[in-house]
Amino acid sequence: MRQKLQNLKTEALAQIIQATDPAELKNLRYHYLGKKGALAEIAKDLSRLEPEAKKDIGQLFNDTKSAISEALGRKLEIRNSKLEIDTSLPGLKPPLGHLHPVTHAIEEISSIFEKIGFVRVRYPEADWDWYAFEALNMHRNHPARDDIETFFIDAPEDKKMGKIVLTPQTSNSQVREMERVKIPPIRMVNIAKCYRRQSDVSHTVMFHQFEGLVIDTDINITHLKGTIDHFVKQFFGPKRQSRLRPYHFQFTEPSFEVDVTCDICLCKGCKLCKEGWLELGGAGMVHPNVLRAGKIDPSKYTGFAFGWGVERTYMMKSGLKIGDLRLLYANDIRFLNQF
Amino acid sequence: MQILIPDLWLREYLETNATPKQIQHALSLCGPSVERLHKKGDEYIYDIEVTTNRVDMMSVVGIAFECVAILPRFGYTAKLKKDPYLEKVDLSTSKKVNYLNVTLDKAICYRFSTALIRDVKVGKSPDWLVKRLELVGMRSLNNVVDISNYLMHELGQPVHTFDYDKIANHTMIVRQSRKGEKLTTLDAKTHTLPGGDIVIEDGSGKLIDLCGIMGGLNSAVDEHTQNVLLFVQTYEPTHIRKTSMALAHRTAAAELFEKNLPTENVLPTLHSGIKLFSQTTGGQADKSVLDILNVSEKVTTLKLACPLTEFVNSRLGINLTFAEIAKILKSLEFVVQSEQVVEIPWVRKLDIAIPEDLVEEVARIYGYHNLPTQLMAGNLPTPLSDTTFYWEAKVKSALSHWGFTETYTYSLVDQDSGLKLKNPLSSEWTYLRTSLAPSHLKIVSENLGKVDELHLFEIANVYLPKKGNLPHEELHLILTSTNLDVSQLKGYVEALSLEMGVHITPEIKVYPTALICEINLEPLIAKATSIKTYIPISQYPPIIEDINVPYTGNYAATVAKIKKVSPFVAKIELVDKYENKLTLRITYHSKSKQLSSQNIVPIREKLSALA
Repeated sequence: MRQKLQNLKTEALAQIIQATDPAELKNLRYHYLGKKGALAEIAKDLSRLEPEAKKDIGQLFNDTKSAISEALGRKLEIRNSKLEIDTSLPGLKPPLGHLHPVTHAIEEISSIFEKIGFVRVRYPEADWDWYAFEALNMHRNHPARDDIETFFIDAPEDKKMGKIVLTPQTSNSQVREMERVKIPPIRMVNIAKCYRRQSDVSHTVMFHQFEGLVIDTDINITHLKGTIDHFVKQFFGPKRQSRLRPYHFQFTEPSFEVDVTCDICLCKGCKLCKEGWLELGGAGMVHPNVLRAGKIDPSKYTGFAFGWGVERTYMMKSGLKIGDLRLLYANDIRFLNQF
Repeated sequence: MQILIPDLWLREYLETNATPKQIQHALSLCGPSVERLHKKGDEYIYDIEVTTNRVDMMSVVGIAFECVAILPRFGYTAKLKKDPYLEKVDLSTSKKVNYLNVTLDKAICYRFSTALIRDVKVGKSPDWLVKRLELVGMRSLNNVVDISNYLMHELGQPVHTFDYDKIANHTMIVRQSRKGEKLTTLDAKTHTLPGGDIVIEDGSGKLIDLCGIMGGLNSAVDEHTQNVLLFVQTYEPTHIRKTSMALAHRTAAAELFEKNLPTENVLPTLHSGIKLFSQTTGGQADKSVLDILNVSEKVTTLKLACPLTEFVNSRLGINLTFAEIAKILKSLEFVVQSEQVVEIPWVRKLDIAIPEDLVEEVARIYGYHNLPTQLMAGNLPTPLSDTTFYWEAKVKSALSHWGFTETYTYSLVDQDSGLKLKNPLSSEWTYLRTSLAPSHLKIVSENLGKVDELHLFEIANVYLPKKGNLPHEELHLILTSTNLDVSQLKGYVEALSLEMGVHITPEIKVYPTALICEINLEPLIAKATSIKTYIPISQYPPIIEDINVPYTGNYAATVAKIKKVSPFVAKIELVDKYENKLTLRITYHSKSKQLSSQNIVPIREKLSALA
C-alpha cells in the first residue's frame, strides 16, 4: 500500500508537470482526485487496515493527496493569473547591486583602447625602483624619488633593482612591457592602482591611472594625436576637442600635456577650467633612454606613451560633481548605492 | 613652477601688436602654459606655469625671448626692444679684489661674483619699482632688498645683498656645513643644519649665509647700512635642493638654484644690479668686480647621427624643409650650422642634450595644433591569452546583478602584515594588506545603521611578503553580508562557481557583525572556462520524489552514500533541513529507458534502509 501511494504520487506529479493545456489538467484532477479517482480507490482499502498501520499509511495518504492538489492548484494559478492583471501596480524589483564608479570608468576606458588593438596588461603595483624611476630616465635626485612624494617599502634594497616602491604612476609598465614583447609592435594599456603621499580634497593616497604605450617603426606625433583624439571623442563625446601643449617629463621627449574642452562653459572659460580647457594629463614620445632600458633600439623604433588618472578623467566626463575625491574610497553605502 | 609676469614689464623688453589675450593663447599652445590672465587695476598679469626644465623662462626676459619666437607664428609682430645679453658689460673683473678675501670650495660653487657698492642710502624705492613688485605679489621693503627681488624676477638669477661692514675681517669661506651647526636666516628662523649644506663663514668663524636659500640675519642690510656687497652666484644644484628640503625652507631662490642656473647669466645680472644701485640708492660700485668662474663656459653643440631634417620629419610625421627647421631653431637662438651640427644657446645648454630635444623645439613652435591627426597603421600586437580581466568583469557583473555592492578600499591598512611602509603618511595607512577582510569589517562598522542590510564585494590585490623579492600580488575576491546566513552566502559562491565552470571551496568566517568569504581568485581564474559541453536532452522524462532521511551532521557524506545506491540517482537536492531530519529531492533518470515506478521500488527500499 505504501509503495502504491508513493508510485501514485510520483506518477501524478510527473504528469502534472508535463501537462500543457487546461483540458489535460482537468482530466488529471478527475483521474486522481475525482469521486471515482485513483485516490478514492485507495481510500476504500484504507478502512480495512489495522489501527496501527492505518495511522501511518493515513498520514502518507493525506500527504499524497495534498501534494497532488497543490501541484494542480499551482499550475492553474499560473494560467489564471494571466487573466486579470493591473499593470499599473508597482513591480517587485530583484535585489539591485552596484558597481563602483572606478569600475565603470575602467571598463569604459579599456574597451575603447581594446577596440583599436591595445592589449590590456597588469604589472606589479609594488615594484622595483628600476621600473618605477631609474629605467624611466629619472635621475637619482628627481623630486619624485624623494620619500616626500613616494611610498617606499621597509625592506632591504636589491643591488640591481633598488628599493621597492608603491608605484606613483603606471609608467613602470613601460619597460616591463618592452621586456615581455621584446620585438615591437607594442600597443599596451595598463590600468592599475597608484600611490602617492598626498591626501586632500583632490588627492587620495591610492588612486588609479591608465597608461598607454605604442611602439613600432615609424610612430610619430600625429599618431599620438590621433589616438588621443579617438579616445576623447569616444569617451567624452563627439563634440569635445583635445589639444596638446608643450610640457616636460623625464621619460618622454617631446612631452605634452593634453587638454580637453570644458563641457560646463563650452570652452568659453569658467571657474572650473583654465580658459575653456581642462587638463587631462601627460603624454609624449618615448624617450630614447627608456627604449634602451627596455632593450629596444631607438634608431629603429619610436613610440608614444600617456598616463592619466582614472578618477580625474571620469570626473571630467560625467560631471559627477564629487567635490571631494576621498569620497570614492570612503565606502559610505549611501554613496556607493548611487552608481 | 609658477611665475607672474605683468604685461607692462614684459613690454619693456617686447615690442608686439598682440594683445594680452592673444599672447596668452599663443604662449599656451607653443610655450609655457599661461594658466590665467589676471587684471589688477588697468594692468594685465600673466600667471604662467613654467616646467622644471625651462628655468630660463622663470623671468620677464625669458618670457620675452619666448614671445619673440612664438608670436610671429600666429601672425603678430614681435621683437626684442633691448637684449640684456647683448648690452656691453663694461665691468672690470678680477679673481682677487682688495676689499674681500675669499676661500672657495670649487665643487659647490660654480661662479662666485660680487661687487662692493659704497655710500648706499637705504630708503624707500621709487614708485615704478614698488608698483612692479606689487604686481607680482611682493611687498616693497626698502630700495636694497627691492633691487634684489627685482633682478631675480627680471633676469631669473637670484641675488643677495650683505651689509659689507658686518662681515668680520671682510673674509668669506664658502664651504659645506658640519652637522649640527646653527644659522639664523633673514626671517629670524634658527636652523640646525643637517650637514653638507653650502654656507659662508666670515673672518670671526660665524656663519653668515645659507647659500642659495636665504642670507643670514647677522649680515643683513638694515637702515644703517652704508656699504653693500652685491652678491651673484651659482651653486651645485643638488646640495641646494637637499638643504632646502631637509630644512623645509623653500624660497624662490632655492627653487631656481636647485634647477641648475647657467653661469653666463651672472655678470649681466651683476651689471644690471650695479646700474640700479646707482639709480635708486646713490651707491657706487668699486671699479673692480670679483668674479671666480669654476666651470667651463664654452659653446655647446649637438651633433646628429641622422640628418636634422630627416630626423625631425620622422618624429613629426610631416615634411618640413631644412630651411623651415633652421628658421624655427634660429628664432629660439639656436645656430644651425648644418644637417649634422647645431649650436645651443647658453640659456638652453642645460636642457638641450639629444636630437629629440630639438624635435620638441621645432614641433612646438610649428604648433602641435598644426600637425595632422591619424591612428597608426601597422601590425596589431599579439593579444595576451592568460589575463584575468575577462573573469574579473564577469564576476563583478554577476555579483552586482545579484544585489551586491562593489567597494574600493585602500590597500594600506593599520594592521601589521609584514610589509611595512618606510615612510607612511598616517598610522591608518602603514602596512600593505595581506587580506581584504579587515577593510570590509571596517566598512561594515562604519555603515551599520545607515541601511537595513549590507551585501558588499570587492576584487583587489593582497600583497604577500617574499624575502628578497617583490611582494606576491594575489587577486582576491571578498563577499561580505550582514544579513545572509551561511548557506545563503555559500549559495552565491556556488552560483559563481557555475558561472566560472570551476569548483570553489569557500571558507566562510563568522564575525559579530557580518559573514565574510574571501577567495583567492588566481587559481580559479586559471581554470575558469566559459566553454560548456552539451549533453543531449534525454527523451525519457525523469522521476522526481522527495524522501526523508536522518541528518547525521554531515550532509556531503549522506549525499555520497545515496549516490552509490543506484546509477539511476541523477540528482540530489536539499529541500529542507529540520532538526535531525533532511528532506531530499531525488531525481531518478536513465539515459537508455523510461523508468517506471517498478524500477524505483528497489532503490527506495535501499534508501529507507540507509535511514
